[in-house]
Amino acid sequence: MKRAGIGGLLIAVPLALALLGPLFVPDEQKRGAPFMPQGLLGTDFVGRDAWYQVLAGGQTVVLVALLATVLSYLAGVPYGVLAATTRLRLVDEVLMRPLDVLLAVPSLLVLILVAAIAGPGLAVLVGVVTLVNFPDVARLSRATALEISGRPALEAMRMQGESWWQTSIVYTGRSMLRTLAADVGVRLTSALYLVASASFLGVGVRPDAADWAVMVDRNRGGLFLQPLTVVVPALLIVALSVGLNLVFDRALRKVRT
Amino acid sequence: MTLASYTVRRAALGLVQVLAVVTLVFFLVEALPGDAAVALAGDNPDPARIAQIRAAMGLDRPTLERYAEWLLGLPQLDFGVSLVSGRPVADFLFGGIGPTVALAALTLALLVPISVLVGVLAAVREGSLLDRALTSVSVALHSIPEFALAVVLIAVFGVQLAWLPPTAVGADLFAQPAVLVLPLVVLLARPICSISRLVRAGMVDALASDYVRHARRLGIGETRVRFAHALPNALAPAVQQVARTTDWLLGGVIVVEAVFVIPGLGTVLVDSVAARDLPVVQGLAVVFAVTTVAVNLLADLVAFRLAPRAEVVA
Repeated sequence: MKRAGIGGLLIAVPLALALLGPLFVPDEQKRGAPFMPQGLLGTDFVGRDAWYQVLAGGQTVVLVALLATVLSYLAGVPYGVLAATTRLRLVDEVLMRPLDVLLAVPSLLVLILVAAIAGPGLAVLVGVVTLVNFPDVARLSRATALEISGRPALEAMRMQGESWWQTSIVYTGRSMLRTLAADVGVRLTSALYLVASASFLGVGVRPDAADWAVMVDRNRGGLFLQPLTVVVPALLIVALSVGLNLVFDRALRKVRT
Repeated sequence: MTLASYTVRRAALGLVQVLAVVTLVFFLVEALPGDAAVALAGDNPDPARIAQIRAAMGLDRPTLERYAEWLLGLPQLDFGVSLVSGRPVADFLFGGIGPTVALAALTLALLVPISVLVGVLAAVREGSLLDRALTSVSVALHSIPEFALAVVLIAVFGVQLAWLPPTAVGADLFAQPAVLVLPLVVLLARPICSISRLVRAGMVDALASDYVRHARRLGIGETRVRFAHALPNALAPAVQQVARTTDWLLGGVIVVEAVFVIPGLGTVLVDSVAARDLPVVQGLAVVFAVTTVAVNLLADLVAFRLAPRAEVVA
């Protein structure tokens, strides 16, 4: 119980800041000198109030990670199920083999490469993180669906003449839910990791964007003058990541026992 | 299947993977609007001058011809020429490879003994306070973004306490080992968690198995049971995870080099991406992809040697 409390608390603070923070940012902001002790956290590398940047900067990290996770499931699950349920072995091979190539490349490299070629933009970031997570989801769905399609219950349903909708979507889908749900935590944290790391490296975001990871990168120059402008966004990302891990790990244990 | 035939099959798969990645990289860059000549012509793109540069660089030839040439150049370490400086790409790669390999090798050298030790410690005292503490920490630290951890550590140990140098600017990595402490801690944090958990799980299973019970009944000493009988069986799943770690390590090294200003391959990559120096990016992608495929190949062979019954083809 205690661990879930810690995990929940660790998620709640950055999540609340990320989702509600933008509401509290005033429209008119004064620009001062960079790295001066003004406001709650001091000013950032171009003299903006760092506290307002923290309030405004969580949204992109959280939303991009969430969106990319959802999209990789939307694409990966039907893809994997299709590969598992097809009668032709060739289709299965054609669908699954290319994924081996994607899995053979370090994910951050794929991200940097595609973003370098496609140019900056949040849509690109969402797309690439989806692409990186997609092979894992597809493989897991294929393995799960394959196991389910061999079950006696499904054989019986087929012999009874149940429709394709009933067998493939309703029964298989419902049976896959548990395995897929157990995997959501891993996918979400890895998406968060990729989004944050890419933003930190300046891939896919504007260099002065209000984004926790970009703040960490840009304000590093003032680490000796205003350490809080760097440490606060970094700690928020750490808290979010640790909290997600703890909460999902606990949920998994509960499901298993 | 014998080890030899498995090796041949697995190596063939690895070769196909490398070829596929290399081809993908070439044609992705090819698909870009505007080529090297446009980039070199600079601010006043005069069509005549662009055509001139294009002819000089051989860019007016068909794509497939250039692809074949590029492909044939790779085994001879000819990766083409940088757009920005005109130096051969291979120069960049050789310049940056030292620090990166040093970081990766040191990390791996520390990673394996530490994670085995942590995993065994937790498994031997299963359910104890130590076990629960180690497990909680490894769950929590798993998949923390390296840069965030690095910056927090720099702020605490580099700036506030001033125990360790905050960056590696201008330092010789080998003359001043203190420079390497924080980067190594950051690089180790993620893989130690995942591998020690695997070792722990394998060790818990092995210690509860029939052969360990039998060995105990025979009166074999507890230390020998643990380390000579249980541990080798617990290690097989961890070997493959070590290979997976190399993937993270390459990603982690890119970030860690950027944070600590270490002039390795990661820094070269980030700089060349920022400058849109695509031949250098291509060359680095090839190097990273070949390394990953080679490490996975090696790990699969080791795993096959450890447990020949299991089908480990990816």
